[in-house]
Amino acid sequence: MPSPDSQQKNSGNSLIQSEGFYFRFRMFMDKFMRFGVAFGGISIIIAITLIFAYLLVVVFPIFHSAEIKQESSFSLSASSQPIAVTEQSKQDLSAEDQITEDPSRPKILHLAMEEQNEVGLRVTETGQLLFFDTRSGETKFTHVPNLPKGVSVTSFGNADPATTTIALGLSNGHALVYRHKYRVTFPNDKRLITPVIETPLGAEPILIDTQDEALTHIDVQSNDEGLTLVAGTADKRLLLVAFTKEESLLEETETFERIGIELPSPATPITHLLVDKDQRELYVASEGGYITFFDIQDKAEPKLLQHLTVTDSGSELTALNSLTGGISILVGTSDGQLAQWSLVRNENNQEQLVKYREFESHSAAIVKIIPEFNRKGFLTFDESGLFGIYHTTAENTILRRTLSSANIDNIALSPRANAMSVFTKNNQYSLWSIDNEHPEISWSSLWGKVWYESHEEPKYLWQSSSADNDFEPKFSLVPISFGTLKAAFYAMMIAVPLAIMGAIFTAQFMSPNMRKTVKPSIEIMEALPTVILGFLAGLWLAPFVEDNLVGIFLMLLAMPVGVLIAAYTWQRLPQKFRFMVPEGWEGALLIPAILLIGWVTLSLGPYLEMWWFDGDITQYGKHLGPWLDRNLYLVIAGLLFPWAFLLVTRSEKFGQQLNKIKSEFYQSALTLGVSIVVVVIIGALLSPIVESLLFDGDVAGYLKDSTIAFDQRNSIVVGLAMGFAVIPTIFSIAEDALFAVPKHLIQGSLALGATQWQTLTRVVILTASPGIFSAVMIGLGRAVGETMIVLMATGNTPVMDFSIFQGMRTLSANIAVEMPESEVDSTHYRVLFLAALVLFAFTFLFNTMAEIVRQRLRRKYSSL
Amino acid sequence: MTEASETRTHGINMDALERPVGPSDLANEEIALEVSNLDLHYGSSQALYGVNMVIPKNRVTAFIGPSGCGKSTLLRCFNRMNDLVDGCQIKGEIKLHEEDIYHKRVNVANLRRRIGMVFQKPNPFPKSVYENVAYGLRIQGVNDKRKLDEAVEKALRGAALWDEMKDRLNDNALGMSGGQQQRLVIARAIAIEPEVMLLDEPASALDPISTLKIEELIYELKQNYTIIIVTHNMQQAARVSDYTAFMYMGKLIEHADTNTLFTNPSEKQTEDYITGRYG
Repeated sequence: MPSPDSQQKNSGNSLIQSEGFYFRFRMFMDKFMRFGVAFGGISIIIAITLIFAYLLVVVFPIFHSAEIKQESSFSLSASSQPIAVTEQSKQDLSAEDQITEDPSRPKILHLAMEEQNEVGLRVTETGQLLFFDTRSGETKFTHVPNLPKGVSVTSFGNADPATTTIALGLSNGHALVYRHKYRVTFPNDKRLITPVIETPLGAEPILIDTQDEALTHIDVQSNDEGLTLVAGTADKRLLLVAFTKEESLLEETETFERIGIELPSPATPITHLLVDKDQRELYVASEGGYITFFDIQDKAEPKLLQHLTVTDSGSELTALNSLTGGISILVGTSDGQLAQWSLVRNENNQEQLVKYREFESHSAAIVKIIPEFNRKGFLTFDESGLFGIYHTTAENTILRRTLSSANIDNIALSPRANAMSVFTKNNQYSLWSIDNEHPEISWSSLWGKVWYESHEEPKYLWQSSSADNDFEPKFSLVPISFGTLKAAFYAMMIAVPLAIMGAIFTAQFMSPNMRKTVKPSIEIMEALPTVILGFLAGLWLAPFVEDNLVGIFLMLLAMPVGVLIAAYTWQRLPQKFRFMVPEGWEGALLIPAILLIGWVTLSLGPYLEMWWFDGDITQYGKHLGPWLDRNLYLVIAGLLFPWAFLLVTRSEKFGQQLNKIKSEFYQSALTLGVSIVVVVIIGALLSPIVESLLFDGDVAGYLKDSTIAFDQRNSIVVGLAMGFAVIPTIFSIAEDALFAVPKHLIQGSLALGATQWQTLTRVVILTASPGIFSAVMIGLGRAVGETMIVLMATGNTPVMDFSIFQGMRTLSANIAVEMPESEVDSTHYRVLFLAALVLFAFTFLFNTMAEIVRQRLRRKYSSL
Repeated sequence: MTEASETRTHGINMDALERPVGPSDLANEEIALEVSNLDLHYGSSQALYGVNMVIPKNRVTAFIGPSGCGKSTLLRCFNRMNDLVDGCQIKGEIKLHEEDIYHKRVNVANLRRRIGMVFQKPNPFPKSVYENVAYGLRIQGVNDKRKLDEAVEKALRGAALWDEMKDRLNDNALGMSGGQQQRLVIARAIAIEPEVMLLDEPASALDPISTLKIEELIYELKQNYTIIIVTHNMQQAARVSDYTAFMYMGKLIEHADTNTLFTNPSEKQTEDYITGRYG
């Protein structure tokens, strides 16, 4: 420490010289703290920006469009071994397709890939199954079917790609069914994939057509219970053969029961056959763009349900396949149209094919449609060589491009949808990788109405997961955003009036001593963990509300009226009683009044329910209808009464007449009487008009079947519980704002002869309005972001129903419920992050709006 | 400016400006307010001790005295602003034209309409100039635009503010200068045409020019209003008032016409105060 002398000397000598230790210390502290505050503030901004950036980084990939890249390519004719082809079969098949550049190479009927994208399979027109390395083209294994002499392959069909079942139709009315499986072993710690061929119905061809006609078309489906084959013969018959597996318990052997049946064949020649995955529906496409739809659930008795055109006139159906899950079919036409058709139950509870949506059309005929294995997307290519990836739920074109200069002959998609094999007409084979992680998300699938499979109409739905792999995820953010706003709305309905009125009373009328206890106790409510509130709301309040619905409603109605009556009675009491309570403590008298009203209404509830609604308010229509029929004019009169009362009191003529009467009591009685008479007359006049406008002229009939769809976890419960949580926030900020209104403004108003009420409404609230407004907005921000209460008290049903008796699912609760079970980096995971981003946007929006309005109001009403 | 000075010379009854002379004059005046045996307690401490006085009608009465002598407290008794103070108890009576203002059936809002008040610090509402002046009428249920326009103009003219503010009636009053704000508050008070105006150190927060304007205004207002002004500034009291009351320690020491009180006080304490021995 420098001596006082030197300090004095320093300060006396120069303004710049500052050597004193204390001087330097406080300069240092000033700079240090300035830096500290700036650092802290900027860090907070950076932290929030980083959270926002992280959300964006996780969400971004779902809006990323797909990419494909060629991995390898080779010429097939060079690497494939020479194949012995019988003269006859070669002639039969090549007659159809003369364009094939290499006549020595047998035509490829089918291409497939296994899960690791290492081994590919091609099925040739000779019936050979060739397994090859997808990168080098080296053939790994060839299966040559044992065909009788003179018999050739005349048709091909494949089942749902996940079952890897294929069928070959033969020229002698027989068929071969194969499954291609892949055994993965790890010799020397290296993955080795060995293709295996299974023959579920035996290695020998099985008889389909007892008349031994060639099978020109065939389709197959198989699952654990059985196998269904559908075939069209050269003489235009349509055959269905089903094999049902029967396990003998004793001998542990499997036998197949065969059912063969002939179906009515369509008028025009068959072009495509399609059996759905569950072997319940059969679609037969025939020339002219027709589809004949059979119900083949009962194999012995198939039913023809529908025969319809699915193409525009003049165009033909050129490609048909089912979307994964087997509920929808995808149709490609000769004029390049692509459409999804699906089964919807009509009024008669009968399934019907309905066109769901169309996709961006091609300019040339669609050749093939290849569905993804477990997503609702598909690949397609047309005759001009244009390749496209589409997604049905997102109604989206994900990618469209030309893959090579030569036209595409066939494409196989990897089971994981991350690679594809492309075979072109100039005998080039190529392997492509596909980067298409999140095809199901588009603007319309998030925010628009989407027509999901098995639904009667487009809807907003959130349903993110199910047990089934073929499930169509429903990622509409609309119901949960709606739920968020709905929950916040009902909470604010309860919280805003109570909190603001409470704040007004506390700040302006309460005695300082009482305020000292009341304010901290309400603020301490905020410290109550919301999980406890949610727990109470879900486990105690929800059943309580359910049991006392009438009582609760009665209480909501009676409470304001009862409090007013209590206050009025208090004012009319003789001064002797009134002076017993110190000034500013009158509010405390309301506590017993409120408890009494609550107790009376809750105990009256069941009796009223019994009396008015026969003990079940949810069936209210039956009783309310006839009652309203008789008393509609009274209801209208009641609704109009406040307006009529205002009108009468404001009427100058009436006022003049009234002033002639001396007694105040008679004056008010007369005002009241006149208003009542006026509204009853108006009500009587209006009731027929209202009845015909609102109730189709018959109230009783209109309301007869009205019921309440009551959900135990509903908006009343959420409104009460979350309102309770939000009240302290709003109360505390609004009370501060109201209390901060300068006393001299209040005195100025009172000194001008204003009553306390006038001062309150015209000066105090106006001056405190910026603070009250921010209180409400901060409360709203809290209600929107609140998680635990809505999680436990809403039932978490993502319904789009504004009814007060229904629950909801909010963005925050949705994240809390689903995040732990979502697979990292999956679409679901990223959509949940998007939901978080939307929530962030909501609160950001509310807070920004609040801040802007607050700044404006503050500039306008800034206190002195 | 010429217009304003004209109204000042022509519109004023020159007789009223004549200062009454002689100590007996107070008895000859018409009485507006009469205070008898007024005791006032704030909780356990007593602020006023047995005050008896009469306030003459259409005259300016000034209350002077050192800080804490109870002059503002007394002023606030006249429009019952002390009712707002916790633990304030009043004994004795105050009569406005023979009516006891502390009678239990008195409507306080009505009383305050008849006895207006202007505070030390200008307190315009955060509203437009027009709405500030119209406030007193609006709370009485006057919403007729024409009546309000008339009243606002009249009040602003009365407060010598019309020429300055007539083009800025819709501006926020908070944007005005302190002197303008104080005159606006006076305009607001006279818009409802009270009988008595209580001015609680109306110029103490203002600069000398604004103070002068306020004093001129008081001078003009007394033709129509009974004015009671509390001031710290003895020169101001001497300049504007017809009668002056000197208070000390909660007691009324002397109440006489201003000339007498300042030139020939009858009490020793008064003389000590006005000659600056304390206060």
